[in-house]
Amino acid sequence: MSPSVTDAALPHPELVAAIPRLRRYARVLTGDATRADDLVQDTLARAWEKRRLWQAGTDLRAWLFTVMHNVHVNQLASFRREAANVSLDADPTGMAWQLPVRGNQVDRVELLEVVAQMGRLPADQREVLLLAAVEEMRYEEIATVLAVPIGTVMSRLSRAREKLRRLIAEPSSGLRIVK
Amino acid sequence: MSALPPHSVSDSDLNAFADRQLAPERAAAVEAALARDPELAARAAEFRAQSASLRDALDPVLAEPIPERLLAAAAPPASGEAGAVRRWAMPALAAAATLVLGVGLGWYGRDAMIERAGTPTTFARSAAFAHALYAADVRRPVEVWAAEEKSLVTWLTKRLGFKVQAPDLNGLGYALVGGRLVAGNEFPTALFMYENADKERLSLQVRKQTARVPTVGARGGDTAFRYAIENGVGVFYWIDDDCGYAISGTFDRAQLLKIAHVVYGQLAALEATGTK
Repeated sequence: MSPSVTDAALPHPELVAAIPRLRRYARVLTGDATRADDLVQDTLARAWEKRRLWQAGTDLRAWLFTVMHNVHVNQLASFRREAANVSLDADPTGMAWQLPVRGNQVDRVELLEVVAQMGRLPADQREVLLLAAVEEMRYEEIATVLAVPIGTVMSRLSRAREKLRRLIAEPSSGLRIVK
Repeated sequence: MSALPPHSVSDSDLNAFADRQLAPERAAAVEAALARDPELAARAAEFRAQSASLRDALDPVLAEPIPERLLAAAAPPASGEAGAVRRWAMPALAAAATLVLGVGLGWYGRDAMIERAGTPTTFARSAAFAHALYAADVRRPVEVWAAEEKSLVTWLTKRLGFKVQAPDLNGLGYALVGGRLVAGNEFPTALFMYENADKERLSLQVRKQTARVPTVGARGGDTAFRYAIENGVGVFYWIDDDCGYAISGTFDRAQLLKIAHVVYGQLAALEATGTK
């Protein structure tokens, strides 16, 4: 079957297969499980809307991340217009609360610490770090997803990692979560 | 090709090296430079450790069941309603629906905590034996088939005396085959068998644990992942809340660990949402 332009469709199984990764990335972008799923839902709706922009045969996952990035940026912009003083940035200390982990192991502070500290990175650095380190995307793909030159990807990534390294090396007193 | 002088290794090189995105030749040159510059090597190692920690923290999200509304959104839209982008969720609704999941992360430093494949404890050994025995049984690997998953879970829960769950490993390509009861220590062991498209099988075994498997000293927590190999069967096992869990299969360690992560994450999520 050759897809015609008019009834272009997205491959449904691949779309479903991409959902867990979209959710994971969205969870960190928003720092909140419900808002993350809202973002994924909007992304899927937008993907169907814009399905003609996807070129069959190219990486659907990378394209979906691109769509999600754009949806997220647009939502942030419109939300900020409506509520100028409310930050939608992930709450660095709250983020770890949204991860599915055990409830009774306060002794494993270090991993929590890495995630919490990552939450303190500027959003653009955090995105690049996540796409490279967690999604393990090629730098060229990241450049496409974020619509920035590859040099920008590299410099953001360097800054993100160095900053994270410093943050972890000298943990701030306020972030150690003691229950 | 001669090695690079350390000062010519750029930040970009170092990151690309950590992410394994350098061309092989360049990677070899960077590696040689790192070998001569401990400080540079430490930075590269730390970058990789950061990535590993982030993945450890975030991977369990992948194993969560996909909410119905997202599956619905992934389906081709009926004509006419295409692309009706949902309004920003009402905050109150969002707050009410937010799952409050616990803090405390069991994944940190898994590699440091995983015991080197040494002497398996009795639990790991019996898990490996039970796996080898039943996984090899093509026709009757289980007593109760997955078609009756509900009664299987109810039965095993009753026999073990605490709530057991069969994690959903479809996301990893493993479907539940079914389960059975296995004689273990003084308590019975529940065994869930899974199979992928290539007919490779893995099993999850759960039992009450009396004598504690000694935990890895440095951290002292219960949920240290441990690894053992017994007669070619790899076992990742851990103790949590007086229950022992073991994932067994004839896979390599990395594959098995990935599966163990997902299982752990799901069980934790199920517990956190109060299904336990």
